[in-house]
Amino acid sequence: MEVTHRTTNSQRPASRLHTKLQAAEKLISPGSVLFAHRSKPAALGPTHVRTVSQDMDKRHPSSFQQLEKLGEGTYATVFKGRNRQNGELVALKEIHLDSEEGTPSTAIREISLMKELRHENIVALHDVIHTENKLMLVFEYMDKDLKKYMDARGQHGQLDPVTIKSFMQQLLRGIAFCHDNRVLHRDLKPQNLLINSKGQLKLGDFGLARAFGIPVNTFSNEVVTLWYRAPDVLLGSRTYNTSIDIWSAGCIMAEMYTGRPLFAGTTNDDQLQKIFRLMGTPSERSWPGISAYPEYKANFHVYATQDMRLFLPQVDPVGLELLRSMLQLRPELRISATDALRHPWFQDLPQLQARAQQVAQQQQMQQQISGGYGAPGVPQQTGY
Amino acid sequence: MASRMFSSLGSGDSGYDGGITEVFEFETSRAKFNHQEHAREVARQRQHMLAGELSRLDAGEYQQDILDHMMRMDADTLPDVDSIDIQTEIQWYMRPYLLDFLVEAHSAFQLLPETLFLTVNILDRYCSKRVVYKRHYQLVGCAALLVAAKYGDKKEKVPTIKELKSMCCSLYDDDMFLQMEWHVLSTLDWSVGHPTVDSFLKLAVKDSIPDPETENLALYILEMGLFHREFVSKQSSTLALAALALSKHILGRPQARASEYASRYCETTVVELSQKLHQPSEILSRKYASGRYSGVSRILNTFLVDQAALAAAAAASQRAPSPGHSYASVSKSPYIEQYGYTTPQKPQFQSTMQHGYPTPPITPEEEHFGKDPRNHSAPNHYTPITPTPTAPMSQCSGFDYRDDYRAAPPSWVFETYHDSRYTGIV
Repeated sequence: MEVTHRTTNSQRPASRLHTKLQAAEKLISPGSVLFAHRSKPAALGPTHVRTVSQDMDKRHPSSFQQLEKLGEGTYATVFKGRNRQNGELVALKEIHLDSEEGTPSTAIREISLMKELRHENIVALHDVIHTENKLMLVFEYMDKDLKKYMDARGQHGQLDPVTIKSFMQQLLRGIAFCHDNRVLHRDLKPQNLLINSKGQLKLGDFGLARAFGIPVNTFSNEVVTLWYRAPDVLLGSRTYNTSIDIWSAGCIMAEMYTGRPLFAGTTNDDQLQKIFRLMGTPSERSWPGISAYPEYKANFHVYATQDMRLFLPQVDPVGLELLRSMLQLRPELRISATDALRHPWFQDLPQLQARAQQVAQQQQMQQQISGGYGAPGVPQQTGY
Repeated sequence: MASRMFSSLGSGDSGYDGGITEVFEFETSRAKFNHQEHAREVARQRQHMLAGELSRLDAGEYQQDILDHMMRMDADTLPDVDSIDIQTEIQWYMRPYLLDFLVEAHSAFQLLPETLFLTVNILDRYCSKRVVYKRHYQLVGCAALLVAAKYGDKKEKVPTIKELKSMCCSLYDDDMFLQMEWHVLSTLDWSVGHPTVDSFLKLAVKDSIPDPETENLALYILEMGLFHREFVSKQSSTLALAALALSKHILGRPQARASEYASRYCETTVVELSQKLHQPSEILSRKYASGRYSGVSRILNTFLVDQAALAAAAAASQRAPSPGHSYASVSKSPYIEQYGYTTPQKPQFQSTMQHGYPTPPITPEEEHFGKDPRNHSAPNHYTPITPTPTAPMSQCSGFDYRDDYRAAPPSWVFETYHDSRYTGIV
C-alpha cells in the first residue's frame, strides 16, 4: 500500500514519476487493489444469519407451526401457519431457493414492493425468514381467495349485488393505492384477491408487480393471466400503464355477477377474438393507432359491439356504466381507479353497508359449514 | 443519415456498370434492409407516441402522488456517507476501481440504465451498515448488481452466478455470491426500490421536446457523480435536476422555465458536479463516446477544452475570466498544479483497528464484540459491526483528498483491464 502514502509535491522529478507509474501499474486492476492478498477469501461462515436476526424467536421458521397446505403458486407453496407465541394464524409462503440463481427476482420485487405498500386492502407482509434453502414470507392470514369464495357461495358462483359492490370498492381502493405508489400489480384475478371472514378484500401475490415511472417504461407483455389481460397488452403493447389493472378489475366485476370468467380465451388470438365478439372489433377509426400494435392483424374478424345489457343482464344500469368505462378497449379511455371510486354506483354503498355486514356474517356461517379451504390435498393456485 | 441517403440512391440505380456494380449491389441490399427497418422504426415511433399519450394520462392523474412517494423513498433509501467514511478496510480510493468494474459489467450484460444507479445505491447502503473487508468489496458490488438487475431487468438479462464468478476470475465461490446476495437483501431489510436519478430525470424532461443529447449528457454527468464521495448521500432528485441544468448549460440549451419541475435545481450541486467533469473514468467516457449516447463524452471534452482556452486567453490578457464563461473549468488549474488530478480520497486510517472488524458474511464472533473498548459505544449489542457516524470523526479532519487512480496515463487502464482481469466480460 505504499502508493497511498505518496508525496503531495506538485513538482515531481521524472524518476519519481517513473516509480509512481510502476506503483500505479500494480494498482490498475481492481483485483490488485481489492484483493491485495491473492489467496481466496475465506469461505463465508454459516453463522451470518445471526447478524441480522435481532428478534430471533420471531424470525426463526420454527416459531411457526406449519398447518395444512393452502395451495401452490407459480414459484412457491403456501401453508397455513400458527405463530407459536401468540397463536395468531398466518399464511406462510415458502419459496424454494435455487442454488443456481439465488433469490428469485419475483421474490425480490414482491417483498420490496409489499414493504412499501401498507394498506387495508393489500395483504400485509409480516416478516421474511430465510433458511438455508428456502425463503419464507409470513403474511396475514386470509380465509379464502375470491375464486374459492365464489365457488363456495353456490348459486353457480354468483355473488349478491351488495357484496359485489363492497368487493369492487375494496378492490379499486387497493388498486388506487398501488397506482398512487407507482406500482402496477399486473396479475389481478379472482385467485389473487383474498377475502377474510370480516368480508374484507385484499390484493395478494405481487410476484408480477412492478414499479413504474413517469413516463412509462417498457415492460414485458407476458403479464396477467390470459383471461384478465387487457386488449392493448394482447395486441403486444409493452408500454401499458395503470389501465391494465383496471381492465382486470372490470373482468372480475363481471365474473362476480355471472360466476363465470367474462373472456375465457385459450390463446392470445382466441382471447382477442372473445373480447372483440362482445366489445366489437376495433378499427383504425374507432381506435386511431391500433394498427401500430405488433399483434394487430388487418384481417381480424369484424364483430359488431354487443349490448352489455344482453350478456350481463344481472348488472344494474349504473353498474353497467361503470363496467363499460373499465372495459374500454382503448387504454387511454379506461377509467382510473380513483375516478372509478367516485362513480355514482358506489354512492348507496354506505346505506347498504349494514346489510353487507349481515351478508358477511352469513358467509362466515356458511364457510364454517363447508370447511375453509375445501378438501385438503387438492392444492390449487393461491393468491399469496 | 448520409449512408441512408446514399443507399436510397443505390436502390434506384438498376444499371450494371462493371466495376462499381458490386458497390451498388451492396447498397441495394442495404436499401431493402433499411426499408424494413424503416417500417419497423415507424411502428416503433407510433408505439412511442401512444406510450407518451398513455403516460401523460397517468401523469395527470398520479404525478403528484407518485412524486411524493418517490421523494419519500429517496430519503428512506439514502446511503450514509459518514458511516462509509469509518470503514476500516475499504477506502474511497478503491471506489473508482470497483465502479469501473461495475460500469463495464453493467454494459456487458446490457442492463437498464437505472440498474447501474440502483446497484451503486445498494452497494453504498450496504457499506453504510456493514463493515466490508477489502477482499469482499467486489463481491458486495456483484451482489448489489445482481439484486438491482433482478429488481428491474428482464429475467433473461439478469447475470447468472456463473457469469459473475468468471468476471471475478473465480475469486469467489458460487455460494459466496448467494450468501452475499442474501446478506445484502437482509441488510437493506428488503427495501430495494430506491428511486434512481434517471427516474427523476425522465420526470423532469417529460413535458419538453425530446432532446437525447441533453439527457445523455445529464446521465453521463450523473454516472461521473457516482464515483465521488460528495454525492453519495445526495438525494437522487437533487442530483438529477442539477445534472440536467448543467448539461443544458454545457450544450447551450435554454434552462427550464420557472414553472417547470426541472427548474427546481440546487445551484450548489450544479457547481459541485461541474467540478467533477475533468477527469472522468476512462471506462465511462468511452461508454458515452458511442452513438447510442449521442457521443456526449466527446462533446463534453470539446466544451472543456474550449473553456480552458477561453480561460487561458482571458488570463493572458490579464483579465479575470468572466464567470459566465467558465465556472465549469476555473477550478481546473490549481488542482493540476498542486496535486495532479484529484478524486476525493478517504485518508488512510492509521489502522486504528489493527485486525479490522470482521466483515459479514463472516459474522463477528463473540470475542470481537465488547473486547475492543471502542466497541462499547455501539448502541446495540447485535450490531456493533455497523459503523456509527459518531465514532472517530476527529480522525476525519486534515485529510488530503488525493488519488493515484487518475494520475497515471489512461491508455493502459484498458489494457491491463482486459488482458489480465476481465476476460470474462469482453
